[in-house]
Amino acid sequence: MTQNLENHLEETIDKSRDLDQLRKEIKSRIGRLQATANHGLWAMALFIALSTCALRDFSFFPSIPDEFQSMMGKPPSFNMISGALVLYSFSAIILTLSRMMGGSGEGSPFPHVLYLAAFYGFYHFAKGLDDNFWAVFAAGLTVLGLESYRIWTYSHDEIRKEQERLMELERKRAFWSEGEPR
Amino acid sequence: MPKSFSARAIVPVALAITGFVVVCCLLLYSVMKRDMTRDAMQHAANLADTIVKSTRYAMLKSDRETLGNIIRNVGDQQGVEHVRIFNKKGTVMFSAASDELNHLVDKKEAGCIGCHSGPKPLTTLGKMEQARQFKNRKGVKVLAITAPIYNEPSCYTAPCHYHNESQKVLGTLDIGLSQEPLRKTLITLGERMAVFTLMILILTIGGVAALLRRSVFVPLQLLRSYAAELRGGSIDTPPPSLDGELKEVADTLHQTSRQLRESRSQRKQGDLPGS
Repeated sequence: MTQNLENHLEETIDKSRDLDQLRKEIKSRIGRLQATANHGLWAMALFIALSTCALRDFSFFPSIPDEFQSMMGKPPSFNMISGALVLYSFSAIILTLSRMMGGSGEGSPFPHVLYLAAFYGFYHFAKGLDDNFWAVFAAGLTVLGLESYRIWTYSHDEIRKEQERLMELERKRAFWSEGEPR
Repeated sequence: MPKSFSARAIVPVALAITGFVVVCCLLLYSVMKRDMTRDAMQHAANLADTIVKSTRYAMLKSDRETLGNIIRNVGDQQGVEHVRIFNKKGTVMFSAASDELNHLVDKKEAGCIGCHSGPKPLTTLGKMEQARQFKNRKGVKVLAITAPIYNEPSCYTAPCHYHNESQKVLGTLDIGLSQEPLRKTLITLGERMAVFTLMILILTIGGVAALLRRSVFVPLQLLRSYAAELRGGSIDTPPPSLDGELKEVADTLHQTSRQLRESRSQRKQGDLPGS
């Protein structure tokens, strides 16, 4: 009889420890998801900061020496850069929408900031940033806006699921603690 | 996070379509603006060539009066902001504006620096390099072309006046055309494109929203009301007339509620004799 009671107590303590561990894991997952949900906003802020520099045609930065520019060769034509921008925007939107449809949490918005910075760079070297700034800016807002929305909705859905798991765990914990001998 | 199904469905579609259409329109506007500016430059370059060819005979004859007259008449044309001919040293020899005569041109100005940036001035430039855009003293945006007047065999062999054969450029014609008509055309084009974009956006987003509403949101609302009625205890309410997957869900709800009612009544019947 005493042995049975001891076994029951040990089991209860083990289960309580497991639940504590699980609770910690869920809470850390929630923390990670909350941080991921803000990635889109960080990427957007970075892009807006970059666009502010681009709006002034990168006049803050020292100009690249002529020798280096001539070493890099002739910049691509405006039509080629604009065609690439349309193609990039189209494929990035399709990729984001397909990830949204599949409920996938993969992908980060930060590489898009790099691609958009490259477009600003190409237009700058081709001396056409004045005329094409707003096109790159609109493309950036669209792609990063969609990507942020996807990451945000995905993260919040996952957080909701984790919170439901946590509530279920709390219920189990309450059940086990009720069963403990006082 | 938007909680309603309609907001979650429409926001990404609206954002994707609006963004892509705006990007395409901005790029299209930029391409058209560049093409139209290039055409205007070509037109100005042709005009400069025409003036150089028209004045060639007067130059050969050293007929300064006729030459000055031609330049003044061209300068009187609507849309021509300035027209002048300066010699190799940069002194304005003929101009539509009399106050410019015999003044020296600054070689560091836009339009001059293209050839005079190096220690030795260039003698040939492409059509596009000959053009420059700036705002003049009157605040008018000007597209100017500088066309060099080359030393031809007929010039250095002419008996009337003599130029050295080694001298490649005798002078330069500078003509400036107002960009106001081009600016107005671009504004009109921009406005038309904005209206067109807006119409496309309204039609596309409106069309998607209307289709979603008809095929998804309204049936879903009916199903929701039906579920609310079942939850409120109105088990006899018939399922709404729906199609496809939503019909299956409504039928399942109806069947489940009937089964629940039957099992409840059976339990009541089973409880009664014993009570």
